[in-house]
Amino acid sequence: MLNVAIKKQFASNGRAGFALNAAFTASQGITVLFGASGSGKTTTLRSIAGMVTPDAGRISLGDAVYFDSTTRVDLAMQKRRVGFVFQDYLLFPHLSAAENVAYGAKARHERVRRQRVDEMLKLVGVDYAAGRRPAQLSGGEQQRVALARALASDPAILLLDEPLSAVDAATRSRLLDEMVEVQRKTGIPFLYVTHSPADAVRIGDSLLAMAEGSIVQQGRPREVFNAPLNVPAARVVGTENILVGRIAGHQPEEGISAVDLGVCRIAIPRSQLAEGSRVTLGIRAEDIIVSRECISRTSARNLLAGKVRHLLRDGESVELVADCGVDLKVRITPQAERALELVPGVEIYLLIKASSCHILP
Amino acid sequence: MIWSAFKISVLVVSVATVAVTLAGTALAFVLARREFRGKEALDSLVTLPMVLPPTVTGYYLILLLGRRGPLGQCLYALTGWTVAFTWEAAAIAAGAMALPLMVKSARAALESIDRRYELVSFGLGKSELETFFRVTLPLASRGILAGVVLSFARALGEFGATLMLAGNIRGKTQTMPLAIYEAFISGEDQKAQLMALILTLTSIAVIYLANVLTRPPKAA
Repeated sequence: MLNVAIKKQFASNGRAGFALNAAFTASQGITVLFGASGSGKTTTLRSIAGMVTPDAGRISLGDAVYFDSTTRVDLAMQKRRVGFVFQDYLLFPHLSAAENVAYGAKARHERVRRQRVDEMLKLVGVDYAAGRRPAQLSGGEQQRVALARALASDPAILLLDEPLSAVDAATRSRLLDEMVEVQRKTGIPFLYVTHSPADAVRIGDSLLAMAEGSIVQQGRPREVFNAPLNVPAARVVGTENILVGRIAGHQPEEGISAVDLGVCRIAIPRSQLAEGSRVTLGIRAEDIIVSRECISRTSARNLLAGKVRHLLRDGESVELVADCGVDLKVRITPQAERALELVPGVEIYLLIKASSCHILP
Repeated sequence: MIWSAFKISVLVVSVATVAVTLAGTALAFVLARREFRGKEALDSLVTLPMVLPPTVTGYYLILLLGRRGPLGQCLYALTGWTVAFTWEAAAIAAGAMALPLMVKSARAALESIDRRYELVSFGLGKSELETFFRVTLPLASRGILAGVVLSFARALGEFGATLMLAGNIRGKTQTMPLAIYEAFISGEDQKAQLMALILTLTSIAVIYLANVLTRPPKAA
């Protein structure tokens, strides 16, 4: 069990700048530290490894205290049993793949060490390249060797800092599965930093959403993505629509409550909040359906009339902004854009399930 | 004259180069990796012989190491030996002149290494010393080697500071450059020519060796 509660202030140009104030625990499996760049993920990871010294707080792994500002403990990097994998691998260029792995292996006897190196290279599937120098390895192979090197030192936890951001998409997908497999085989807990939602959901057993130096939510990845608990968490996981309103009434037997946004009312799942309470709603752009006709018999409890304000092609998808009194962002496919003949100004209807509208505390 | 000057030069240059390599690399590491007060002052002091006229450097070395100099006095009191006008003095003069080249090259090489390689090594449980010898030094080896070659060449050609501190005593402190000067002045042109040729060939060999040693590893 990794316990972290740290603070660090960074000054920029003499002004008080970024403040890290992170507290969380991570146990078995793969814990994903998720957030935008600049949210403090890497600094947190480096603090655990001992590359960065926090101003205050405590870091412990099981019984071992790595850092404690009250008792002035700051364990040297060498004494922390922490494996670290960098985004750009950092294999020693003057050593072969096998020598890189052997560098970290603790075994004293040459024979035991060689066995350990073989075992690790096999585990990550690059035993065929043992004799090659890093320059002769592909990005994916280099990252596998870096993983093997970190594992060979017998760490109590493995910290991975965006380990797959420098490899191509196909390799990335394969490596994600391999990482999960390696984690399951070794049983070493992974703390995995990424800003990719797809990676986070795919490999994370648990997710820490980080924003502006703080952990804003912790939970199972799908939970956090589907139901962020607060506005910062919603922003981190990409809930595009954040609306403020008041509870207008309850219909307990219908299982819904109504939220008054001023210009319209939204049905949400039954809430325990009192009538008149201010609430913040989060609605993800991909949870909204666009229709050119007014459909009446539908299970979606919310039907909003509006106009297309503008459309923005964003890679494989289109972000549509609809003016329904409030602006709502909707994510659709380019095919839907074409089939519905969507252009700025046309009248549309938005359908939103009540259960897609989450109250953010 | 030629043979004795050659032998003295080999001795002086070897000792100076080895000493400068060790001291220069250590100094460069401290300058590249540590933060302390007076760091830039130390850098300036080490670099000074590169810009000062060699005779001025030699003069300061006499002030420092001469029998009445602060260091020379201690040395004399302890051992009854003075450094001035010995082959060791020639080595010290050559070393002082070569040191800035060594420190500059090694410092640049060390500073160009991604520090995170060292962090990786620490993370794998290796001490700073082990990391230095197994990671830092191999990664900086080409720059350090270039510094060694430059230092060797500088020490081989040393004239002014050597003359000041060690004098020009045939068979004792007379190195090749000093011998060439003496031969030329006394009209022994053939001797001067021969020695100039020897130094030229040595220098060409050193340049060739340096190029071979510091050639980047062939890409796959």
